[in-house]
Parts: sequence; C-alpha cells; structure tokens
Amino acid sequence: MSRDLPAWIRTGYAQALAVVTAATAVASLMFPFFELPDLIMAYLLGIVVVAMRHGRGPSLLASVLSVAALDFFFVPPYFTFAVSDVRHLFTFAVMLVVGLVISGLTVRIRRQAEAAREREQRTAALYAMSRDLAQAGAVEDLVAIAARHIAGVFGAEVAVFLPDAAGRLRVSGYPGQLEVEETALELGQWVFEHLQPAGPGTGTSEESRDVCVPLLGHRGPLGVVSIRPERRDAFKTSEPLRQLETFVNQTALALERERLAGEAQDARVRAETERLRNALLTSVSHDLRTPLATITGAASTILENGSRLDDQTRRELLESVREEAERLNRLVQNLLEMTRLESGALQLRKEWHPLEEVIGAALGRLAKRLADRRITTRVPPDLPLVAIDDVLVEQVLVNLLDNAIKYTPVGTPIANMATPTDRGVTVEIADRGPGLPRGEEDRVFEKFYRGQPAGGRGAGLGLAICQGIVKAHGGRIWAQNLPEGGVAFLFTLPLTGAPPAAVPADA
Amino acid sequence: MPDPVVVLIEDEPQIRRFLRATLTGQGYRLFEATSGADGLVEVGSRQPDVVIVDLGLPDIDGIEVIRRLREWTDVPVIVLSARGQERDKVTALDAGADDYVSKPFGASELLARIRVALRHTAGASHEADEAAFKLGELQVDLLHRRVFVGEREVHLTPIEYKLLTTLVQHAGKVVTHQQLLREVWGPTHTDQAHYVRVYMAHLRHKLESEPARPRYLLTEPGVGYRLAAE
Repeated sequence: MSRDLPAWIRTGYAQALAVVTAATAVASLMFPFFELPDLIMAYLLGIVVVAMRHGRGPSLLASVLSVAALDFFFVPPYFTFAVSDVRHLFTFAVMLVVGLVISGLTVRIRRQAEAAREREQRTAALYAMSRDLAQAGAVEDLVAIAARHIAGVFGAEVAVFLPDAAGRLRVSGYPGQLEVEETALELGQWVFEHLQPAGPGTGTSEESRDVCVPLLGHRGPLGVVSIRPERRDAFKTSEPLRQLETFVNQTALALERERLAGEAQDARVRAETERLRNALLTSVSHDLRTPLATITGAASTILENGSRLDDQTRRELLESVREEAERLNRLVQNLLEMTRLESGALQLRKEWHPLEEVIGAALGRLAKRLADRRITTRVPPDLPLVAIDDVLVEQVLVNLLDNAIKYTPVGTPIANMATPTDRGVTVEIADRGPGLPRGEEDRVFEKFYRGQPAGGRGAGLGLAICQGIVKAHGGRIWAQNLPEGGVAFLFTLPLTGAPPAAVPADA
Repeated sequence: MPDPVVVLIEDEPQIRRFLRATLTGQGYRLFEATSGADGLVEVGSRQPDVVIVDLGLPDIDGIEVIRRLREWTDVPVIVLSARGQERDKVTALDAGADDYVSKPFGASELLARIRVALRHTAGASHEADEAAFKLGELQVDLLHRRVFVGEREVHLTPIEYKLLTTLVQHAGKVVTHQQLLREVWGPTHTDQAHYVRVYMAHLRHKLESEPARPRYLLTEPGVGYRLAAE
C-alpha cells in the first residue's frame, strides 16, 4: 500500500471494496471453468484478507459485498440481484454466515496477536524500568525514572505524588510540561487514603480524566501514581489498568527498598552517635574528675594544714592546682571546639595571613611549656599569603605542638616547617619521639583516640579538632612516622579564591 | 602618688574574691559592682584610675557599659572575656576598651595590663618624656627617627616606621588591625587587613632575632598586635 494514495482509499472500507472487486475479477476468470462453490472460495479468501488486515467493520462490509457481487455477476439471471433458484438463497445465507464467522475469528486472532505483542513490549518496558530503578539511589531519582517509563509505555502524562510529613500528597515527579491540576491531586489524596485505584476503568470516579493508582508498601501507602492518557478510552478494558498496576507495584518496591535502606542508615548513624556520646561521657567524666580531684585535694590540704606545711610543699601543691586548672581549661576548650565543629556552627573568618605570624602566635601561646625544648622553625620568606581563619589555624598548630610536647620525652627537639606547593602550603610539625604504632597513622584522628604512652592525659579530641578545622579550610591532614624516628604531622592549606590586593611598596 | 583606684564590674563572686585578694594585695583601692548599672554609678562616684569590666553581665551587655563610659570619661577600661570570643573582644576594643584579658587568666597577666593602662594615663600628662622608647634590645629614638637593635641601627621604610611608632604609642596594649590601618594607612584602607600583616612580617624580619618566635611584636590572633610591655 503506497502512502501516496488518498486517505479514503487507505481506510479499511475502501480496501474491503477493492478486495471484493479483485475477488470478483478472479471469479470471472474462473467462471467458465469452475462451479459456483469454487467461486465462493475466491470471495471467502478475500474476506479473510480483509479481516486480517482491517478488523471487524471492513470484513463485515466485505462479507456483504461478496454475497451481493456473487449474486449480481455469477448467479442466473446474471447482472441482476434477482434469484431464479431458491437454493441459491441458502447458498448466500451460508456464505454470509461463513464470511462473518471467518472474519470474527480472524479479527480475534489478530487482536490476540496484537495484545501479545503489546504485552511483550510492556514486559520489556517493565524490565527496563526495574533495571533503571535498581541502579538509582535517591527517592527523587526513583520517582523520575518511574514517571519517565510509565509515560513512555502508556502514552500518558504521568505525575507521582508522595506524602509530606503531615500526610498531604505533594507532586514529586512530573516529566510533563503541564501543571498538575488540583483535581488530580485531590483524586490522588482519595486513592492514598483508600488504598484503591480510581479513575476510568477502576469502578471509582470513572468520569475523571486521570487514573490514579496507589504505591503500596508493606507498611502502608508510599504515594500515588497519577496518569492522564492521551486517549480517553485507553483504560476501557481491564488489561491496561492491570499493566499499570504492575508498573506501579514495581515502583513501590523500589521506593520501599530505598526507604528501608535510609532507615537502616539512620539507625546506624543513631547507634554511632550513641556510641560517641557514651565515649564522650566516659572520657569527659574521667578527664574532668582527675584534675578536679587534684585541685580539690591540694586546696583542702593547704586550707586544713596550712600552718604545718613547709613553704616548698605549699608551693608544690599550688603549682599542681594551677597546672590542673590549665589542663581543665584546655579540655573544656577542646570540647567546645569539637561541639562547634560538629554542630556546623563553625564559621570561617578567612583573611590573608602570612603563616609565619600564625606559627609565631601558637609558639607564643605555648611558650611556657616549650621552654625546655629546642624548636626550629623554617618558613621560606617568599611563602605566599594564605586565606585562613587565623584563630582556628593557630588552634591546629597549638594542638599539634601540644601533642608533640605530651608524647615525646622532655628535651627532645620539635621542628616546624612550612613549604609552598603548587596548590597551596604544607605545614609540618615533626618530633623525635617514639612515633606512632604501626598502622595507627589514620586512627589518631578519630575522636577519643588516645596515644598509649601518655594515655589519660587528654580527651583524645585534639587531633579530631585539627582534622575538622583543616577540612573546613579545604585541606588535608595526615601523620607519618619518620625513618629517622619520631612522627610528622602534616596539613595542607590550599590557595583558594582571588589572591589579595597587592600590598603597595614604600621606599 | 595615692594608691590607684580600680572599679571592678563583675557578677561572679568567686572571680571578685580572687581579684580582691590580688588587687588589694598589690596596693590598689578596689571598689566592686555586681551589675552594669551599679558599675556605671560606681565609676561616676569613685573616679577610678582603671575600670575592669566583665563582658557577660546579668543586666547590661559589657560592651554597652563601655559605650556609656566612653560618653563621658577616658578612664582606661580592661575587659574580661573568654578565649574563642575574639569577635567580642574586637567589638569591645572598637567600643573604646583599652585592653582585654582572656579567662581563665593568671594574676600576673591582669596586673601587667593594669600597669600598662596606668602608665599610659600617666604618659599622656607628660608627653615630652616619650622621646625615646626602650624594650630589651630594641630602642626607638622618636626624636631623631632612628631605630636600634642592640648596637646595630636598623633602617625602616616610612610605613614600617609609622607602624612601629604606632605600636610604641600603645606599648603593652593590644592594637586592632583596624586601628593600625587607620593610623598608618589612613581611613580609606581599612578593608585591607593583610597590608598590616605583610608590613608586620617585614618589621619582624628587621627587628626580631627569630621572626617566627617574636619577642617584641606579638600577635593576638583574631584581634590584632601587641608590642611587648616589659
């Protein structure tokens, strides 16, 4: 059939007419040599062809036309519709019935073949959707994938509604351009609450243009899929609705899987938070009590036995009160810092700084405790300015130096170094102490980790805080044991943003 | 000279007790107030030489107390504040406070700040004595604009010299970045805090034997600089 033919010729009825004409031509060629029943076969063949290609209406027309043509051309008296022999009426009747039965059967076979093909296509589409759903992670992705696939298969606008915290449905995925109408959302809400589909073909709200199917999970509805087919009669039979439900159920499974995975993740996070809280409580209560016990004990000794203590003892007691109070202060400072880092309340106040100055401030803060150490500091004079929050980076340096003091023997040297790299500045603080146990180089940055030799001297927060601050600056911190002994802690501060305005030189 | 008068505005009784012991033991006459409102009255009636204000008062914000004091008096004000509240410190200094001490602090630290404050009040009344400044090896001859470290004369650029003399004028007191920018570069450069840092680094390299462990030009992270006092 050429596509150039006028439209009316391409309709089934015109084709039926053409086929009957052809059958008549064949029959007229056969007429001199064959009996009437043989001619009938030619017409029946034509009816089968029409039924196969064009369905019920055209094959009906073909049946009637065939009987008429047979009567007109091949039954005496010829070229009239009159019938001389009554037996021929019976022939016509049988021919008509056979024609109708054949066309009926053929049409049904054709429909089944079509339905089978369609089913196959939808199965393939269902498979394609499941595969895509299996690869997606987030709820938004799942919803978008489902909407896209369902829209493609059913030739429809698709919207997915998911409930908000209050149980009201909200549009979540909608690939079409049209706004979702309020009525669609209302119907969706009804479906969500009654757990059954609604819309054409469902027995509920048949007059609606939208078909709504609930997304059912094991513990209740997860949402609703609403589709608006292009053809209003698309859901006239039960098959499309069943198909749609299959797609929707597949989507519901994927959503439920995602939800369960999310809940499992939340549970893990809660458990971890709980563990950390317990560790914090244990650590804090121990670390707070030890200095408090010393302070209380020393102070009460002086109060109660003041007159009987010699000057040196009293002085020693007072020294330990001060030292323990300072330790308590560092601990509280660390706890506050950690809390600020974890709550996300930390705001960087970045400005351009020469690192030498920040290192100097950290060394100044620890001057008393560094008195018996040999400190070497190497900062190249051409080191670029870095955009940092100086208060926080000073804290990193103080924590690292404090660790070096705590975990290495009195009198051993400590080296600070800053070196430029192509993307920023690397700062290194190296000691000549015992180093870290093999394999612990990463663990030391975990919260509440404490080094063994000086176990119990801190809350195990210092390095975790360093890591938090360095990360907030976009840098990296790590530790490495040195071949010549001792450990080096290194961190990077990336050069970010536009460099500062050049400092005007003066003569 | 009579004993210097100190007004302490602090609501924590334990801190008042400790300061009372420290200050009276050092020969100061101490008057205490437990709220901002009482403190303002006390300053008005006692005419103190130094005021110490806690930033966390129960009634009026400590910074507000400083603002109200500055409406009528130039008495030195020293602020008590916690570490980690650098922004509050800068606000207090901008509001007119002279210096701060971070809690927890030792007695010696606070006494040093008070001495510096008193010296500045005294210095203001006989300006002429301030022709030379000496601190350890560092000598600044303000009259002839010459700077020495030990026997060696150090040549400074005009900005470096201005920066150094600004710090000398406030010797022992903290000076904020903004203050330095205003006084050295003028009011139009106050958003270029890194100018100060770069020139301060130059100064350290010229004046300090170990620029990364300065003896004279000290950094107060997040706040500003302090020329060591003694």
